[in-house]
Amino acid sequence: MGSERSDSSGTAGPPEAAFTAYKLLIAGGFGSGKTTLVGAISEVRPLRTEETLTTASVGLDDLSGVASKSTTTVALDFGRITMGSKVVLYLFGLPGQERFSFMWSELAYGALGAVILADVRRLDECFPSVNYFESRGLPFVVAINCFDNAPRYDPEEVRLALDLDPDVPTVLCDAREVASVKQVLITLVETVARRTATAGSRR
Amino acid sequence: MPPSGRWRPRDYGPVVRPYAVTGGRTEPADGEVLDLIAVVVTTGRAVGPDDHPPLTPEHRRILGLCQQQITVADLAADTTLPVGVVRVLLADLITQGVVTVVRQRPPAQRTQNEVLQEILNGLRAL
Repeated sequence: MGSERSDSSGTAGPPEAAFTAYKLLIAGGFGSGKTTLVGAISEVRPLRTEETLTTASVGLDDLSGVASKSTTTVALDFGRITMGSKVVLYLFGLPGQERFSFMWSELAYGALGAVILADVRRLDECFPSVNYFESRGLPFVVAINCFDNAPRYDPEEVRLALDLDPDVPTVLCDAREVASVKQVLITLVETVARRTATAGSRR
Repeated sequence: MPPSGRWRPRDYGPVVRPYAVTGGRTEPADGEVLDLIAVVVTTGRAVGPDDHPPLTPEHRRILGLCQQQITVADLAADTTLPVGVVRVLLADLITQGVVTVVRQRPPAQRTQNEVLQEILNGLRAL
């Protein structure tokens, strides 16, 4: 071999894709349940690198309401869902804290859409993600993670509090439950499809 | 794509400083930053003894995983190397012509909506 394949010019043509990979983002504030959500639905547990919170994090990582959390996810959470043989859906958790926002544009590149996980006790932590996806024009849904000891709000109240456009779905979810996470992802992909159809009919 | 057996949780901690395995290089030699879901595969070209840079054990691990089409993210997970390191090592292998990027072009007759429908069906079937 070798003679029919030119390494520099690539005249043999690129190999045929054995599968097509798509990307969804899971965003949200620190401790909002991103790792739990990815782990609930993926065919495997997500890969993670966790760093112990040290005194260096005091004042940087907001622990109000999540006092028992002693580590934070500093690298990528990601999971993979294989569909049939040809489509693979990748879920990437965006590092929540704003000081990791330098990673967001790389992760968002080519993504179909995003889930923003909201903790009603600390709704302001969603603002950076909401602003980011709105400015990028990336379709997203807001999923209110119903923590056991958190107060319950109507999704419409959360929509108002976050000043969301009417076409952004706001849903309740339990990031630990497969069925719930599945419904959130279905809502997201439906939103992406609606957006695609609208964009197509405008042309 | 890799068998799911490689997706095992494991203790995750660097034994050496991340960029030690790239000889201190932090940028891919070809300047192309591969997306996390970019798919790569071996070309079938054998590695020669004169190839430069010489292949490290990490290069060879990546090369072995590239026997089947695999994403950059999966490579990083399977090798437990940081994504940035995987990109540098992959760029070496691509420059040497032993690995190539699989361009993800969905067949022309499939519209974006058909793809989304397929993803929806897949999610509902979970």
